[in-house]
Amino acid sequence: MLIVDDHPSFRRLATRLLREAGFAVVGEAADGDGAVREAERLCPDVVLLDVVLPDRSGLAVARELALLRDAPRVVLISSRGRSDFGDSFAWPPGCSFLPKHELTAARLRDALQHG
Amino acid sequence: MTAARLRAAVLALAALTLALWVTDVVRQLQGGSAGAGLVFYAVAGVAAVAVALAVARQRGGERMALVIAVWLCVSALDDLAVDWPVSRSATTAWMLAHGLAPSAFAVMVLAYPSGRLRGRGERLLVALAVLAGLVWMGAPLLFFRPGGCATCAPRVSSWLYTGTTFDYLPVGQASWVAFIALGLVFVVLLVGRLRAAPPGARVTLLPLGLAVFFAAAEFIAQRVVWLGGWAGPVAALDWIDRANALLLPLAIFLGLAAIRRRRGPLGDLVVELGRAGPGQVQPALARSIGDSTLELALWIPDRGEFVDEAGMPIDTSAIPRGRVLTAIGPPGEPVAALIHDERLLGQRPLLEAAGSAARLALENTRLQAELRAQLAELRSSRARIVEAADAERRRVERDLHDGAQQRLLALGLALQLLRERNADPELLGQAEAELQTALRELRDLARGIHPTILTEQGLGPAVRSLADRAAIPITVEAGDERYPAAIETAAYFVVAEALNNVAKHAAARSAAVTIDRRNGRLRVEVSDDGCGGAVASAGGGLQGLADRVAAAGASLTLTSEPGAGTTLEVELPCGS
Repeated sequence: MLIVDDHPSFRRLATRLLREAGFAVVGEAADGDGAVREAERLCPDVVLLDVVLPDRSGLAVARELALLRDAPRVVLISSRGRSDFGDSFAWPPGCSFLPKHELTAARLRDALQHG
Repeated sequence: MTAARLRAAVLALAALTLALWVTDVVRQLQGGSAGAGLVFYAVAGVAAVAVALAVARQRGGERMALVIAVWLCVSALDDLAVDWPVSRSATTAWMLAHGLAPSAFAVMVLAYPSGRLRGRGERLLVALAVLAGLVWMGAPLLFFRPGGCATCAPRVSSWLYTGTTFDYLPVGQASWVAFIALGLVFVVLLVGRLRAAPPGARVTLLPLGLAVFFAAAEFIAQRVVWLGGWAGPVAALDWIDRANALLLPLAIFLGLAAIRRRRGPLGDLVVELGRAGPGQVQPALARSIGDSTLELALWIPDRGEFVDEAGMPIDTSAIPRGRVLTAIGPPGEPVAALIHDERLLGQRPLLEAAGSAARLALENTRLQAELRAQLAELRSSRARIVEAADAERRRVERDLHDGAQQRLLALGLALQLLRERNADPELLGQAEAELQTALRELRDLARGIHPTILTEQGLGPAVRSLADRAAIPITVEAGDERYPAAIETAAYFVVAEALNNVAKHAAARSAAVTIDRRNGRLRVEVSDDGCGGAVASAGGGLQGLADRVAAAGASLTLTSEPGAGTTLEVELPCGS
């Protein structure tokens, strides 16, 4: 798994939490360009991707990741809730969404199984 | 009617009147009745028409001139046709003119100086005079036949002759009694007007007043003589009657001239300046002073120089020979200057007064322009303030997400890690519950400050998301199209505040939001089925909304009859 978020403490703690829950977190990235680079290098199965990144939108990054040869599953995360984006929000196809305040190992597994 | 049309009507009537008079004089000459009386009659007639035309030339005198011209024309017809030998048309015209001449006279006098009758009393008097005149001459119109009445002048019947006749003399006498009564009322009315007039207006009423009393005395004397059947004074009264044809219009002309004299050339200038647009002050001034080369120079203290009306500097050191500069204002502190022909120097008081009037007019124009500019600046600064506030809200919302909220989210992850390390589960549960509450409150706060969905998705989705969170069912009709950020924000907060009011005050079961675009304007309507009676009180939410939409160049309409729900409507300009 690759974790992409521009907040170092959140990234570090998420990595620790998910590792302890049995996820193999292979890398971290702080922005969109880093995310694409790391994904190409590490070929992760899952990318945990913040919607708001300093250099570009997480949505654009998700679309780019979907074009990779071994395209990873993308779970978009955000500090905002679902209703902040509205029902008609154009989520990139094949992506799941998980608000950060709901992020637990169990919820992530749910999202990966059902999303 | 416009002044030009009134003048044309006066001209037509004057031509007709002159033609009638000339015909009459020629006919009387052919009849061998040449003499001092006829000469006086001809001169008086032509002079009267000339006076009517002179009145029509005066600005604002057109209507009065028309009333005079009507009277002159009726009088000329009356005089001409009285003993036209054989013509039935002339007889018909004369009978009508003779009957209506007193009314035309009354209208002319009462309508002075504006050319309009004032009040119901005057109109009633004129209507009664017309009625009396029609009754009086109606009898011969319908029943006169030649030879039927020895004292009557016409030699043929009118076109309206019924074929029968009777002794209608009593009808005529009865109408005379009515005329005399009406005449007395007329005199009382005029005396009242003269007495009620302020001293300034009395001078302008006096000439006509004198002429009318002269005419009225002659008129009453003539009728008394006629009723009594005396022949002696008739010739003398005829002379006076003819003099009246000239005296009355002349009196009106003199009265109007007095009004103009009181106003003077400067009065005209002030009136003209009141209507003058930009660039018209100097020509008006030139006309009133009588120097077409006159230039107006305005002193600008800040710049220490004279400028023209357009604001261009005037070089006062290079004034050509034969022209001089007259400064206006206290010595050493000019407010303006006139550059004019040096031969006008003898009229310094006139120059100073005219210059001051022009200065006043220009100052007025300048102040108005300044005010308009300030208002425009105020409007745009208000819009800028709102825009800046909106930008600030977006920044605060972002800061909340990026700062405090991220730290709380990290804290949440740390708590989850603690749980894995078998920390006190009860305490941990409590901490996690507190944290989730804090996060929710923070999200609500951020959303209230500026909703992400509005920036990201636009007005329609933002309003739908707002409606989803409301306590009562709200139907939303809105598209997904985007508008300028300032408009979207204004519209969003209108809906948010309106729905907030619905929830707090309306006791509504449901509400509806409609957002559509009409004629380049974004229309936002929020209606509910609640108790109504909402008012936009100062300092209230609705007032705040009104201020906000006003800053966006829109207005807010609130319809809220008690018991009939509330509808709030806002139309925002949304560009193309």
